[in-house]
Amino acid sequence: MSWLTPHIATQIVDFGSAMLLVTCFAIVAQRRLSACVDLFALQSLFLAMTAALVAFFTDTRHIYIAAALTVVVKVVVIPRLLKGVIERLNVTRELVMKVNVPASLLICGALVMIAFFITEPIMPFGHLLTRDSLAIALAIVLIGFFTMISRQKAVTQLIAFLMMENGLFLGATAATYGMPLIVELGVFFDVLVAALIAGIYTNRLQDAFDSVDTTRLNELKA
Amino acid sequence: MAILFFLMVASYAAGLLLPLCCPARPKIQNLVAHGSAAFGSLGGIGLGIVGLFGPDPLTMSVPSALPLLTFAVRLDALSSFFLLTISLIGLAASIYAVGYVTAWYGHISIALLGSLYNGFLLTMTLVTLADDGFFFLIAWELMSLVSYFLVVTEHEKADVRHAGLFYLIMTHVGTAFIILTFLLLFEGSGSFSFDAFRHPEQPLPDGIRTTVFVLALVGFGTKAGVVPLHVWLPYAHPAAPSHISALMSGVMIKTAIYALLRVYFDFFGGQFPWWWGFVVLVVGAVSALLGVMYALMEHDLKSLLAYHSVENIGIILLGIGAGMIFHSYGLDELAVLGVIAGLYHTINHAVFKALLFFGAGSLLYATHTRNMEEYGGLLRRMPWTGACFLIGAVSIAALPPTNGFVSEWLVFQSLFMSYQIPSLAMKLMLPIAAAMLALTGVLAMTCFAKAFGISFLALPRTSHAKHAQEVPWTMRIAMGVLSAVCLALGLAPMLAVPIIDRVAASMIGSSIADKMLALDGWALAPVNVEFSSLSTPALGLVLAATAALGLGLVACCGGTFPRRYSKTWACGLNLTSRMEYSAAGFVQPIKRVFSTIYQPTVKLETEFLEESRYFAKRRRFEFHIAPVFQTYFYDPVIAFMSGLADRMRIVQGGSLHLYLAYMFVTLVVLLLAAL
Amino acid sequence: MIPDQPIAQAIALILAQAVVLLCVSPAIVGLINKVKARLQCRQGAGILQPYADLKKLFRKQPVLSTTTTWIFTATPYIVFASTVTAGLLIPVFASQMPLNFAGNIIAFVYLLALGRFFLILAGLDSGSSFGGMGSSREAIVASLTEPAMIMAIFAIALTAGSTNLSTIVHRTALLEGIATDPSAHLMALSAVFIVVLAETGRVPVDNPATHLELTMIHEAMVLEYSGRYLALLEWASAIKLLVFLTLIANVFAPWGIATSFTPMALSVGLAVYLIKVAGLALLIGTIECMFAKLRLFRVTDLLGVAFILALLGLLFFYMLRG
Repeated sequence: MSWLTPHIATQIVDFGSAMLLVTCFAIVAQRRLSACVDLFALQSLFLAMTAALVAFFTDTRHIYIAAALTVVVKVVVIPRLLKGVIERLNVTRELVMKVNVPASLLICGALVMIAFFITEPIMPFGHLLTRDSLAIALAIVLIGFFTMISRQKAVTQLIAFLMMENGLFLGATAATYGMPLIVELGVFFDVLVAALIAGIYTNRLQDAFDSVDTTRLNELKA
Repeated sequence: MAILFFLMVASYAAGLLLPLCCPARPKIQNLVAHGSAAFGSLGGIGLGIVGLFGPDPLTMSVPSALPLLTFAVRLDALSSFFLLTISLIGLAASIYAVGYVTAWYGHISIALLGSLYNGFLLTMTLVTLADDGFFFLIAWELMSLVSYFLVVTEHEKADVRHAGLFYLIMTHVGTAFIILTFLLLFEGSGSFSFDAFRHPEQPLPDGIRTTVFVLALVGFGTKAGVVPLHVWLPYAHPAAPSHISALMSGVMIKTAIYALLRVYFDFFGGQFPWWWGFVVLVVGAVSALLGVMYALMEHDLKSLLAYHSVENIGIILLGIGAGMIFHSYGLDELAVLGVIAGLYHTINHAVFKALLFFGAGSLLYATHTRNMEEYGGLLRRMPWTGACFLIGAVSIAALPPTNGFVSEWLVFQSLFMSYQIPSLAMKLMLPIAAAMLALTGVLAMTCFAKAFGISFLALPRTSHAKHAQEVPWTMRIAMGVLSAVCLALGLAPMLAVPIIDRVAASMIGSSIADKMLALDGWALAPVNVEFSSLSTPALGLVLAATAALGLGLVACCGGTFPRRYSKTWACGLNLTSRMEYSAAGFVQPIKRVFSTIYQPTVKLETEFLEESRYFAKRRRFEFHIAPVFQTYFYDPVIAFMSGLADRMRIVQGGSLHLYLAYMFVTLVVLLLAAL
Repeated sequence: MIPDQPIAQAIALILAQAVVLLCVSPAIVGLINKVKARLQCRQGAGILQPYADLKKLFRKQPVLSTTTTWIFTATPYIVFASTVTAGLLIPVFASQMPLNFAGNIIAFVYLLALGRFFLILAGLDSGSSFGGMGSSREAIVASLTEPAMIMAIFAIALTAGSTNLSTIVHRTALLEGIATDPSAHLMALSAVFIVVLAETGRVPVDNPATHLELTMIHEAMVLEYSGRYLALLEWASAIKLLVFLTLIANVFAPWGIATSFTPMALSVGLAVYLIKVAGLALLIGTIECMFAKLRLFRVTDLLGVAFILALLGLLFFYMLRG
């Protein structure tokens, strides 16, 4: 593996992280819920691949397990669950948004720049291999947060939440080459439970208001 | 130089006085006034050329009876450049005016109009030549006042009076800021002469310098019409007679650019932090984009052009702002490039904006309306005006191979050079400004496709347009001359750029004339020949050759059949002008896509037939875009000011004795204070 | 970069490139149509059909509207000239084009804008609502593509250290000066690809096959054209498509292009070029079968993505170096 200089390894990891960010933007621009779910699955797949690459380049075994778990939980289980919810609720697209798509895209672009500026001073201290991924991870978290605010349907908000989680995972991998295995297992379990709860919550919303529009939660006050 | 200067001033002075003494024959007054203005402008052109090529700055000064005031003039490269621009447009406007004012014979006093016109040109030239703060302020204030009188030429119309008042207030607010600027500079130097400003006894503290920067930007920005201080511009410029509009939009607002360059680069010697340049860049980018966006929504041709002045001032400031940023990082060659781009756009904008205002004036002359929706099909009736307007439109839309393209290209290059800046933030912000400029450029193209297409093409929309006639030959000559200048500045930038380089180099101190040109001067290649190059003559040649190729192909492939003429297919109906796309319809998608910026209010009232709700009898459609700056910026300020005035009313009694008492008390207090 | 070469050779190269652009472009349109037809289980017309169409159109008597002015008859020539001129600024089969000095990528974009400006005017000139509608829509699509285009171009220009197309292509082909930034490169490529779909009026932005007046953009503007004028416009739009495909092929993957002027290199360059653009044509044909045309006001979402991709490309270029 003489061709595999540290520089090229960095490029490959950066490329994987960049793909995660691109899928984030695709989710922000996508109105169809099922496509959002697919894109989330794709993003999780990129995440697993990036994590596996980091594991490969740094020879950190336990990241392989986390990557495998990512594939199982976030690429297979959760998307299936969400697809089920979408099918049952019969909501296909998000038509009304608090912030329209082009404006959201521009705001998210600005968020990425902010993330890069924030991490710029600490970058030189990071690991050579993954230091750029930290900025991307922060950007993904910010975008996920923003999407949770700007979208109205519970399902997209859930996807945005999971997107944030992906960002955190990437950040953990980048900053410390992964958390201890037991923490990661706990996190995966939490995410799965959160997804389940949110799925149930969405169903209850539908029953209570005939809609999964979370803005209607206001009506509970009356 | 002195001879040319006195010749110029004497010509303008003659134009100022003679028409008023002339017998009351409008024709003679017209010829005398505009003839002397043309002579004065020729003198100004001569003076500008002398100043640009002369070795040293030329100075003259006449002391006055008043303390602090010296009538000092100085002709350095920067002054000469602006003087040349003003005089060039002044010459064309003088020729144009000879024909244009004939429409007013018998309505308004041609003597007064002509006299004020000369006064306007004189004060503008003095603003660029003044070498003394006090003298500059006097010239500046006179320029504002004279232009106010010119704006209210048609003062019997209420909206013209309103526009004039608005202009007067805004320009005075701006002047207040400028006076403060000069007073602060005076604090540091103890003298009003520009030379003292340049070399103050003790350097100004940073806080004062920053204050001067902001005050000058606001003060001169008001005159230049940068967002959000632009609000007066789209009212005042269209209200004036068209040759005056051309001068105001084309060159008067450039005096503010001149003054900004004078203050930042000359008085401060280019010693400023990077964020000054960044502020100028942001102001420029926002002005450019919002200017063109509001222009798109205008259907009054002259207001549309006025908004485009906001846009082009923005583009000029983009170049200058980039230059300032580069300069603060010590990248002087790139700084010169940015300033060259800004200055080249200054003269280009002056030329094509004047040309377009002349075109709009010709349409007004021929149809008596400024509303685009009442034009249509005018290219057949006014072929010369149409062709000249088209050249102006292509230039302002920055399409090759015209002058607007070359200067916008230079602005793009200077923004792209940002990769050499060490700061990451600036590396990213300058390309974003470039993307905003790209959006501005393509929206300007859309806007002028609308302006030309709706006004000159298809069927006449009203009887005004149907009976329009071509304008007199003096007006056509003025437009033709400016069209030729547009093409010349576009096709031969390699002749103009080294001259402008002298101007920029005189401010920044490093010349890049030899690095701007490549291939024996046939191509522009800013600073780094590997990075970019442009040769408009070659592009023009290839365009001509490929067009000829197209003609040849048609000829070879059996293009000998005569053309057949038939009506446009209109789904089986007879095509009428009401079926045409209107200006409002043309920009509807843009209005919708950028609704965040426009905040449009649309009102559709439908009156139905009594018999059925399915058939509409009449529809009324209204649409307005929110005056954002009015609502969120000016109205609160006005409310605050009038609230303050309300409170001040307590001191007003209306009684003469009370006022006398005030004066008496003031006098006594002052006497006591003097003890 | 100005290659030092004899005038005769330079002119010969320019002419050769013009001939390639003119001759190959109708075949690309034919190829895309063929791919679409086969994917829709139709036989479809032959790849050479557009040549026959052009020949037929050139020999037809043109009908002009009585409302039109000289703008209408001049437009086909201006559009043709500006498109071919833009095509001559971009290297096709040899990386060192003699016209490189005449204009960089900004000039390329603005030359195409010149053609568009006149096409919009021609659409308005006929006086019919359809022409106006097409013009208005063309204007809005163009306004949204241009900023994304400029951003993407700048991201590429940085990696090559030049905005002149030949220089970019030449350096990338020789792998000199090119920064190994796969992320930045890929993002810029995706942005440019979306922009190209919009600029050339393909699905999902515009549908070149539609004949429903209310949905079309380009076709609506040229609705009143006939005979030789239509032939020139059709040809110009085919050339525009080819030029943009060339842009993608040669700027992002110039390998194989002739970097010297030996007959061998030139013929290999030409062959590789033809394979590359044919591959891109297959891709576009497939996309047109897979996606529906977007509603006009959803195009903003797509082009917003393009702009952001370009911006990210730039960001990644600066951030992820070394």
